[in-house]
Amino acid sequence: MDPSEVEFLAEKETVKIIPNFSLDKIYLIGGDLGPFNPGLPVDVPVWLALNLKQRQKCRIVPPEWMDVEKLEDMRELERKEDTFTPVPSPYYMELTKLLLNHASDNIPKADEIRTLVKDIWDTRIAKLRLSADSFISQQEAHAKLDNLTLMEINTIRAFLLDSLNCMYKLRSNLQPGSSKGQFTDY
Amino acid sequence: MDTQSYLPVQPGVGMEENFLSLDDILLSHDRLPIRTECSFPRLGFLEKSSDTQDIAEGTKMELPLWLSKGLYERKRRVVSVELPKVYRQGWRTVFNADPNVVDLHKMGPYYYSLGSQMLHFDSPENPDIAQTLLQTFIGRFRRTMDSSQNAYNEDTSALVERLDCLEKGLFRSGQSGLNGFQSWEKGQATQLTASSLVLNYRKRKITDVQP
Repeated sequence: MDPSEVEFLAEKETVKIIPNFSLDKIYLIGGDLGPFNPGLPVDVPVWLALNLKQRQKCRIVPPEWMDVEKLEDMRELERKEDTFTPVPSPYYMELTKLLLNHASDNIPKADEIRTLVKDIWDTRIAKLRLSADSFISQQEAHAKLDNLTLMEINTIRAFLLDSLNCMYKLRSNLQPGSSKGQFTDY
Repeated sequence: MDTQSYLPVQPGVGMEENFLSLDDILLSHDRLPIRTECSFPRLGFLEKSSDTQDIAEGTKMELPLWLSKGLYERKRRVVSVELPKVYRQGWRTVFNADPNVVDLHKMGPYYYSLGSQMLHFDSPENPDIAQTLLQTFIGRFRRTMDSSQNAYNEDTSALVERLDCLEKGLFRSGQSGLNGFQSWEKGQATQLTASSLVLNYRKRKITDVQP
């Protein structure tokens, strides 16, 4: 999967905006949006929010977790715990990037938030690598990926799957005759 | 993301080879030390070191893997295959001590695949070989992972130089994950680029098509 595909999925998340125009309810396949009234907050998907923002038709209200204090707490917790801690949004990395790139004027302390989220991301990736290594070295057969987000899994997916394939084959060498009878189509 | 006009077939790695994998074809040309168990009449031209017409019984020579595999039979002993040096006890001790210090590219470069292929030939050491292959892979995994996930936008030739061909493949897939993420983060992913298929496409010349 390409990171831009993950980003595309993230754009389905809803975010609150404060429009400065009025429009009746609009009916889309994915659901109904609106009605839009100037000054009244309304929930819309991120793709629409960014589009409206680019045309300067709304103000984006940052999600609750996008706050310096909350993210600092989260970073501390993430560094303290050995396991993955729950993240505020399954698309925290993508949303941070999208919202900060397009609507940084609506988000207070944008730069600090960017750094904090990057810190959290780095900590989690380091943990992910550590657990992948112990997963391989203990020759485990399955693992639970609690609290991991799609983007995080996506960065390591190709590598991990290929290595697990190789390891499986090298392991089936240990039992002669077990690798027989596997056919692959091309 | 890299798009290619064809999908390379992955090497089989285990005891079964993939017929269409280029790596496995190259692997099948690796030479194995063998000892003939019967005389091969009129095949002396294969054995460069002597001028006789026949290959005598008990001659030590080297044959490519594909030929050794074809000639080897359990019941009718035609050839007996000896282990290449890297899979013998001495080197196995080295691999078990610290797999990271070994230059697998020099040793192989198909260390894992050839090792798995060696299991076709009956030998009391087979279980040990299989175990060492697995342990070597596990021992070197961390380094392959870290180097492939951290080397962004730099010369990786020093990193991959000591890797086995199998590990090189892993390194590449690790790099594709890292590069994909980095280009997304920098915003390069949003720019539309021409597909590599189109860039590599060349117009056929009429002289190429007509006989």
